[in-house]
Amino acid sequence: MEIKLIGVWYRYGGSREWALKEVSIDLRSAEVVYVDGHNGSGKTTLLKIASLLYQPSKGHIIVDGENFWGLDEGRRTSIRRRVVYVHEKPVLLNGTVLDNVAYGLQIRGISRDKALENSMKVLSMFSIDALAHTPVRKLSTGQAQLVAIARALAVEPDILFLDEPFSNLDRERRGLLISTLNRFRSAGMGIVLSSHSIDVGELGRHRRIVLENGEVIKVYEFE
Amino acid sequence: MAEVFNTIVRSVVVSGAATALASLWSIPLAYTLIFRSRGSVLLEAIIETLVGVPTVVLGLLLYILFSSSGPLGFLGLLYTPHAIIIGESILVTPLIVSMGYRSLRGTAHLYYELALSIGADRIQRMRIVVGQSLPGVVAACITGFSRAIGELGIAMMVGGNITGYTRVMTTAIALEVTKGNFEEAIILGVTLLLITISISVSVKLISRVWMIWRSS
Repeated sequence: MEIKLIGVWYRYGGSREWALKEVSIDLRSAEVVYVDGHNGSGKTTLLKIASLLYQPSKGHIIVDGENFWGLDEGRRTSIRRRVVYVHEKPVLLNGTVLDNVAYGLQIRGISRDKALENSMKVLSMFSIDALAHTPVRKLSTGQAQLVAIARALAVEPDILFLDEPFSNLDRERRGLLISTLNRFRSAGMGIVLSSHSIDVGELGRHRRIVLENGEVIKVYEFE
Repeated sequence: MAEVFNTIVRSVVVSGAATALASLWSIPLAYTLIFRSRGSVLLEAIIETLVGVPTVVLGLLLYILFSSSGPLGFLGLLYTPHAIIIGESILVTPLIVSMGYRSLRGTAHLYYELALSIGADRIQRMRIVVGQSLPGVVAACITGFSRAIGELGIAMMVGGNITGYTRVMTTAIALEVTKGNFEEAIILGVTLLLITISISVSVKLISRVWMIWRSS
């Protein structure tokens, strides 16, 4: 999968300031991209635009050669099902951990039994399978963060977008997350993340995009 | 006494059906209103104004529509329970939309974004957003039911207060008072009050449980 942002500008409703200015980048499966920058530099906005949640105010998003925002609703949904964005502050649905992780699979038409089975596998990768039947309101923020990421990984997206995924995690959970992401990356999943707290290189070969005031000011390639 | 019981049951069934019918369009309407960027303030103001529409005015309009010489007279709905159901469903629509809108507004954008991010289609997105605010939406519907069961104008004008057919609690109370049968009127009045109070208590309990759930 390839997502191309071409000359993308974005302004939030009611604001005069541009949150993103003339951003042009390519994102692909099996690739790791760090989005770096100070608070308010536009990292979250860029992730939400690139993960096809927000429509750019100006510019185009081309997904595998198709102009995404020019497509009909059905086609857009089927493309969106190949990418997942995970919020910085975990957003979970009412219910249990297992309900949450299985939800993404169920809305893709996978039977409940199969969805639950696959979800348990992902939960066990994070060593939180014992929490499967726990109501999400009883989770710590760190556990909720892992559940939100597990829900994203359960659907095996082509590209996973993570907004500050390590911000609520202790050292042990951080290590678990990195090893799990590396596993999915080896299987061909692309990862785009913004993070202040990850050492460059922990997810292997990657690209680093530096944002300042909504503009891409530098792009580095790292082996 | 049997007729009193039947009247109570009929009132609950008619108002319940009207509320269920109104919910079918009111909740999607509230949801749509949240994601409308243009004219949403004006629409909100119009809907809130319509919450207080006098029931006799609506009853009169429906009477004109449903009477044999009216545009919908061919349907033969006048003086039937169906006419009351339709009238009450129109009456409670602004109330359910307004309350539903308020309960969805706080979290709708967050859950909509989540729904999009996990690949939900248009219908699934609405189910997620509404589902996450369900107690508030249910409370809106219960309040709608409370308004429907307590109204008189529509039930009287398009229902006709026919014994054993369209008589509901409010029209029965009005009739018994005019006949001087205060005992029956009081029984019906107290019952109506109890139903309304129990609904109000349920709404408050649902809200409280929801608040505790959210903060724990």
